[in-house]
Amino acid sequence: MREPPYDTVLKPYGEALTALARTRPEIVCLGADLTRQTETDLFRDAIPERFFNAGMAEANMVGIAAGLARAGHVVFVNTFGVFCTRRCFDQIAMAVAYPRLNVRLVGFMPGLSSPGGPSHQAIEDVALMRSLPNMMVLEPADAIEIRQAVAALAGHVGPVYMRLKRGESPLIFEQSHRLQLDRAQRLIGRDESDVCLIAAGMMLPAALAAARTLEREGLTVAVINVPVIKPLDAGTILDAARATRVIISAENHSIIGGLGSAVAEVLAGAGLGVPLHRVGIADVFAESGSREYLFSRYGLDTQAIVRTAWEALARPEPVPRALG
Amino acid sequence: MTPLQALIKLPQHRWRTTVDGSTMPSQQYSSVRRLATRIRLNATRMVAIQGFGYLGQALSSAEIFATLFGGGVLRFGHDRFVLSPGHYVIALYAVAAELGLLDPAELASYGRDGARLEAIGSERTPLVDLVCGSLGQGLSAAIGFALASQLAGEQRDTFVFLSDGEMEEGQVWEAAMFASHQRRRMGRLLAIIDANNSQVDGPVSSVTTLEPLADKWRAFGWQVLEVDGHDVVALDQALKRRGEGAPLALIARTSCLGRLRCLPGTLDAHFLKLDEPLRAALERELTRELEGADA
Repeated sequence: MREPPYDTVLKPYGEALTALARTRPEIVCLGADLTRQTETDLFRDAIPERFFNAGMAEANMVGIAAGLARAGHVVFVNTFGVFCTRRCFDQIAMAVAYPRLNVRLVGFMPGLSSPGGPSHQAIEDVALMRSLPNMMVLEPADAIEIRQAVAALAGHVGPVYMRLKRGESPLIFEQSHRLQLDRAQRLIGRDESDVCLIAAGMMLPAALAAARTLEREGLTVAVINVPVIKPLDAGTILDAARATRVIISAENHSIIGGLGSAVAEVLAGAGLGVPLHRVGIADVFAESGSREYLFSRYGLDTQAIVRTAWEALARPEPVPRALG
Repeated sequence: MTPLQALIKLPQHRWRTTVDGSTMPSQQYSSVRRLATRIRLNATRMVAIQGFGYLGQALSSAEIFATLFGGGVLRFGHDRFVLSPGHYVIALYAVAAELGLLDPAELASYGRDGARLEAIGSERTPLVDLVCGSLGQGLSAAIGFALASQLAGEQRDTFVFLSDGEMEEGQVWEAAMFASHQRRRMGRLLAIIDANNSQVDGPVSSVTTLEPLADKWRAFGWQVLEVDGHDVVALDQALKRRGEGAPLALIARTSCLGRLRCLPGTLDAHFLKLDEPLRAALERELTRELEGADA
């Protein structure tokens, strides 16, 4: 892993998809008016004959994707996460998930990374997609994982929802990092830990910073990155859970139905009584605002993870100040 | 020779002419008319087992399915067929059994626990490219099929069957707009609309105002044909047409009571309850119609 502050890159998804599509004629790209914002201007300009703009009509776009997929295409459907899931749930369920089609729904601007308020903040997209049979749910954490996810999806059979940060993508991992569609990754901590942090997507940098903060205070910390939220790698979660005192999940999503819920299901199913605390959006609609403001106000920043861990371990000292 | 081929290769020495001057070989006319009656009879018998079901949909669409499947229009296994309103699948089963595509004995399993012939079509439905269940979704998928055929350079037609009631769903009009915008790719897309003016709560016209339906489709950039949906000659002519550089909508005006004398106009045709006297009357009228056609 690299060290913060992380370098960033632009359009890793758009570049990876376009490169892949040049060698894979079955790939078709659909969009709903947000072409540059979803990095698919690269695809549109490079392979215009396989790019279709459906306009602001997501239900129809999903239906068209289904028809194309039934005819043998692998279809990437791109828009903001809210419009990609909330707006056309029945279409995704019936036209894509049920027939297990090779449609990749790519939803940008997850959770409170959108300044646009509740209409543009996908706070339950993972919950919605996770609940659909056959649907795989991905949330890569950096540009390296995004590139690898796109490549991996080319060979995957069945529907996928992938939520992606819009704009600059951090470079957290080295080139040697390997994303696998059936694995979570234990990034920090080998054996016993005081606290195990389980994070996905934009929350991974916060979890890593929280780990550094807690380690400075003398705690042992495990960090697990979960780029594949469904199917969840229960083995890696349970191995870490059996060797820790408390688990903190961290997601840029409602605490209902997302990563935290998925972890809870695994822990409960295995009969583990280890406490689980979910850092995420606490079952509320948020508001407009800058990312820094919203992540702080709604408890999604490093400090929130540190505080949650500190209180879960019932430490008597004041909550330490989070390292950047 | 399959029944389908038999119908295509009929001698064309006599012609049936309608008021607008369109024609059809009379032997083919008799075959397709007879097929429509057989669809109604099969559907009546399927629904009679449980005493209720989507009989009205088969009664309104019998001529459409007979002409499309039995008249040599749809090239089975080559062209695409999407059935958008999944509860119409009864008509598909009924026609497939007549054409040797489905074991007629299987019709008796319609709607039963564990049967693949579900009352509302699903991924288990045999024979066709897609049957939707949730209304208003079929046209979008058909556009996807048409795009795929166009991308592959295939000379395939895409037929999509829609009902008027599902046009209350906005997705239909999203799809209509998209198809028209992509018009040069959509010349082989034909939407067949069963305008039977029936939905769960009663006549569609009592729930919302769809009319003027033809004007709406024209305004959305489609070419439009409007026919009597119980007239197999008019249907046959219309189904052979394609839009010129545009998708084509065929509005078939029909009745859920299938213009059958024994069905009172007051019936709730969307989900017909078939008691014994009604079943017997239907069986009698349809059988007589078949005997008349054979005579």
